[in-house]
Amino acid sequence: MPDWGRTTLELMVQELQHPVRLDESFDRRVMVRVRRIYAERRHRGIIGWLGAAASISRRPAWAAALAAGVVAVVSLAVVKRTTNTVAATGQAIPVQFVLVAPDARSVAVVGDFNNWGLNDTALVAENHHGVWSVSAPVHTGVHRYAFLVNGKQWVADPTAPRAADDDFGQPSSALVVEASTQ
Amino acid sequence: MRMRTASSLLALLLVGSALRTAEAQDPRLSNRLDAPTRKALSAIVDSARAQGIPVEPLMEKVYQGLAMGADGSRIVVAVRSLTFEMGNAHRVLGAVATADELKAAASAVHAGVPAVELGKMKKQSGLRRSLTLPFTVLADIVSRGVPVAAATNAIKSLVGAGAKDKEISDFQRNVSVDIEKGAQPAAAAETRAKVVPTPKAENREHE
Repeated sequence: MPDWGRTTLELMVQELQHPVRLDESFDRRVMVRVRRIYAERRHRGIIGWLGAAASISRRPAWAAALAAGVVAVVSLAVVKRTTNTVAATGQAIPVQFVLVAPDARSVAVVGDFNNWGLNDTALVAENHHGVWSVSAPVHTGVHRYAFLVNGKQWVADPTAPRAADDDFGQPSSALVVEASTQ
Repeated sequence: MRMRTASSLLALLLVGSALRTAEAQDPRLSNRLDAPTRKALSAIVDSARAQGIPVEPLMEKVYQGLAMGADGSRIVVAVRSLTFEMGNAHRVLGAVATADELKAAASAVHAGVPAVELGKMKKQSGLRRSLTLPFTVLADIVSRGVPVAAATNAIKSLVGAGAKDKEISDFQRNVSVDIEKGAQPAAAAETRAKVVPTPKAENREHE
């Protein structure tokens, strides 16, 4: 089995080992339901009981298929819940970008969130006595970005983590936008 | 056997058009990338898709290169490097890792953190905890001069102690300020990792 497969399996097992919390009324609701089923079957008589038992014993292949289906659904549910995190990458959260640059003539914010567009999609910051700022909704996820000062100088955000992969010889920063606080 | 061959052919057909689709959506790619660069990038993107690596971060890297005025060969090198790093991260983090975690993990791998250490952190933290921010901070502090081992231990201890993203963010800010003020990077990371209040530490205090 490949490493990622083993990791996935271990994480799934770990997830399934978490205790399931049930509310206090669970036992009562189950017993009410059991008593109702018991009463219904007693009402149908012995033929009803035998019929119910026979329907299981006659179809072991179907029972096995059902069990396999349940396992598959549980497994898929665990995996799907994690992939939902990716799917949730669509919610936009307002983010404020600020750069102190008293001598700048213009400041724009460019990054993954606007496909590094320099013209039409760049976020143009407003100057407040040398403090340049712009707010914009940014989709949840991790983004690389940088300030473009005077249309030619790339400047990393001094208040944000650095993007370690500065492959193009210019600094950039990392931004993690999360949908909700943990 | 015939079924497998058919599936492989179908997969190849499906993955083969990633960059061409992106070009169709964004004329900047076809206008500003020369033919050899487009061909090389297309092959890399196809390969990434076949490995199950998300291709959106690769496209973002292309856009970044174009914005920063990089030439085609440099963009190809950067995208190939990112694909390799995301592939490494994908192998150790497993299919449960989100695209954002892979992207952040690739950044940490690029900074010099062994991918296997990231895998250990993922196993330690479980499915529910997103490690996007911890990996991002790990890459940041290594790029600021914190030795890989010290940085990895600091983040691992924070994640293991149940520190929230806000606390790990504060940790990053404090370490960067300490280093700017002249602190030894390893000492700054080790010291700041000890003082971050974590839920587990708080629980112990209440006991």
